[in-house]
Amino acid sequence: MAFNEIELNMGPQHPSTHGVLRLKLAVDNEVVVRVEPVLGYLHRGMEKLWESLTYVQVVPLTDRLDYLASLSNNLAYVLTVEKLAGIEVPRRARYIRIVLAELQRLASHLAWAGFMANDIGAMSVLLYGFEAREEILDLFEAYCGARLTVHGIRIGGVVQDLDAALVSRIRTVLSRIPKRLADIRALLDENRIWKERTVGIGPITAADAIDLGLTGPALRASGVAWDMRKDVPYSSYDEIDFEVPLGRNGDCYDRYLVRLEEICQSIRIVGQALDGLPEGEHMAKVPRALRIPPAEAYHAIEAPKGVLGFTIRSNGTDKPERVKMRSPSFVNLQSLEHMCVGCLFPDVVGILGSLDIVLGEIDK
Amino acid sequence: MTPFVADVLIPVGKIVAVILYPMVMVVVMIWLERRVVALMQGRLGPNRVGFQGVLQPVADAVKLFFKEDIIQRQADRLLFNISPLLVMASSLLAFCFVPLGEPIRIGTYTLTLWIAESPVGLLIVLGLSSISVFGVIFGGWASNSKYPLMGALRSVVQVLSYEIPTGLTVLTVAFLARSMDLVEIVRRQESSGVWYGFLMPVSFIVFWISAVAETNRAPFDLPEAESELVAGYHTEYSGMKFAYFYMAEYAHMVLVSSLVVILFFGGWLPPFPGVRALDFLDVVPGFVWYLVKIMFFLYLYVWMRATFPRYRFDSLIRLVWKWLIPLAFVNFLVVALVRYLR
Amino acid sequence: MKRIGAFLKSFFLVDMVRGLAVTLRHYFSRKVTVPYPEKVQEPAPRFRGLPRLHRDETGEPLCIACKLCQKSCGTNCFDIEGRKAEGAKLMRPVKFDWKLERCSFCGFCVEVCPTSAIRFSPEFRLTGVRREGLLFHLDDMYLQGEALQEHLCGGCRRQG
Repeated sequence: MAFNEIELNMGPQHPSTHGVLRLKLAVDNEVVVRVEPVLGYLHRGMEKLWESLTYVQVVPLTDRLDYLASLSNNLAYVLTVEKLAGIEVPRRARYIRIVLAELQRLASHLAWAGFMANDIGAMSVLLYGFEAREEILDLFEAYCGARLTVHGIRIGGVVQDLDAALVSRIRTVLSRIPKRLADIRALLDENRIWKERTVGIGPITAADAIDLGLTGPALRASGVAWDMRKDVPYSSYDEIDFEVPLGRNGDCYDRYLVRLEEICQSIRIVGQALDGLPEGEHMAKVPRALRIPPAEAYHAIEAPKGVLGFTIRSNGTDKPERVKMRSPSFVNLQSLEHMCVGCLFPDVVGILGSLDIVLGEIDK
Repeated sequence: MTPFVADVLIPVGKIVAVILYPMVMVVVMIWLERRVVALMQGRLGPNRVGFQGVLQPVADAVKLFFKEDIIQRQADRLLFNISPLLVMASSLLAFCFVPLGEPIRIGTYTLTLWIAESPVGLLIVLGLSSISVFGVIFGGWASNSKYPLMGALRSVVQVLSYEIPTGLTVLTVAFLARSMDLVEIVRRQESSGVWYGFLMPVSFIVFWISAVAETNRAPFDLPEAESELVAGYHTEYSGMKFAYFYMAEYAHMVLVSSLVVILFFGGWLPPFPGVRALDFLDVVPGFVWYLVKIMFFLYLYVWMRATFPRYRFDSLIRLVWKWLIPLAFVNFLVVALVRYLR
Repeated sequence: MKRIGAFLKSFFLVDMVRGLAVTLRHYFSRKVTVPYPEKVQEPAPRFRGLPRLHRDETGEPLCIACKLCQKSCGTNCFDIEGRKAEGAKLMRPVKFDWKLERCSFCGFCVEVCPTSAIRFSPEFRLTGVRREGLLFHLDDMYLQGEALQEHLCGGCRRQG
């Protein structure tokens, strides 16, 4: 601690830290010199807990990791188990998974937009984003009964089939989202105060981003074209035509724009998946007690927050030997210090918002 | 009209009115803010306490009244207790000089709708409303804690910087009206037929932005924003003292709205005062027009809060020193030039 | 030319006015808030509310104490004991303890039950005021509606 540095604590209880995150900031005359995140306030011992549950019983608990995008967690875990066990998922199930995962991405990004705007002061965007998100959560409720901890993607497929009524309901909800997005954009995109708070704030170069392990929309905002859906496709994403938005400067404004554009692309993906929904089963034949011979597998997906991966080691029983989760927010949080050094401390809140972290998946 | 009534009762009555008027407006504002912000965000706001939630401010006041009054051990007691009073007093004092309408004739007695009128009323009002700076500084310092102190210092710098464009723009109005007397200014707008807000829109906009910044309201409310690190000079206050700061902010907003209406929008005049055909509008008393206009500006305050993000402190200061002050200067020179050429 | 346009837009506060227009439009829009508790939104048909036991048309309990739900539950909510009465065809539960505080509403018990005895209900008002309110014995597992609320927060000072 140098002489003129003040140590400030953005404590675990803070309206803008997106969960129970503690940030120890060292500030020199308003300029941030050091940022040290202190984690563990939400640690629930998930990875250890999973070792005592069967593969099937783990799936609902993965909902609770990134609780704003629970289906993505389901998908990542389930794909890893299927890779480990060699289960083939029917084509219809894969398309339904695309629909569910992209709807979940929409919901997650809408919540993120609200939180980031609220932290910077535009309170109404929070409510507009959540109003749009409510419709998607109602869809999940109609599909499988739960809004937040959805547990809709199972080992071998999805829990329910999409009937025609649900498909048309999804299309209706999708048609309403662009209008709400236009409202948010009209409030923020060109607003001089918003630009003042986000343009040039928290920049990170492409090389630094890759070095620090940044993934997801934050990485793409720095200009690196890496999206697991395109580069290592899973669940029939290679059959869908969509674009991956890229930014240029890697500042908060670019991260904001990239995520808004991803919302538009997600709408496009869901539309295509619904149009091309093949006939077939929605669930493969998976034995009731799933026993997997000793092996180890890793599979990662493009969750709304970044690259979400699971490593599972099996030992021949119906319970996994070890499950390790690579959570995007945990790795993205590393780059917080790099982005924050040199900025003023009201900007820390904005940068944290633009990184889009969820403590559930950081602390597990 | 006995001397007792004229010299004692009526002034006392006016003083009571001057205290009650901003207080009533504050109560209305508390409800208005929560309800309007909620409706703009797509939700309903308070609608349980009383019809459409109008008793919500009462509920808030009662709650704050019963809260424990906490003072830290090392706090400077005198300054700690005085600062809410200073902030409130500055707004209330300024209201003494704010006219509410033309004098009313009751029999042989002319009831003036102000407590005091002065040829330099404008200057006095601006000066009195600046006393709140002392309250802010005392509150931040007396809290004996680094975050309120930083918040107080920021708030003071903000208010002082934004005083400059305020002063420059009201000077343009004084130029046009050839007087600093608030009543004269309104009468000039009546005789000239066009409100100064339409004659000098730049003055109005600059004054409005500076006024919003002076009252520490969105989008210039970083010193007191909840989601930022530094929580403002009133962090350590609880209970009734906090309520005082809260009410004083609203009272200041009402004062500033009154000033805007008087200086730029014709005070108690009905729209288009010069046009004979609209004389039927004179049926509505001036005070009602005044209230309608003030309510519009209060509504605009709330509207802006619901819409805009917050300025960061250095952007705020950069905005005033690099843009608003030069703009106000240029505007002043233009108005002076136009007056000189007339 | 573009720079002059951008400057004029900035000078006339066009972006601010656009923002104000958006909030004004929302001010006059119809609000989607449902005034709870005067109006209660019905959950979707597949809603995962409180798991409840059911009886068939003749009033016989559907549960045959096979304990598949107990085996499939990942959070140990169940404690079941069954007994086959003399001359009866099927086992019946004699003890069926279920803990609400452990349930994660995953739905495995519902999916695995061979007789559809345990099913989700639309009950979402699940607050209790005592620990005992969150523990359901065999008879409590059939409670729904007002009787359920009585079990969960019976003896509470403020009803409803």
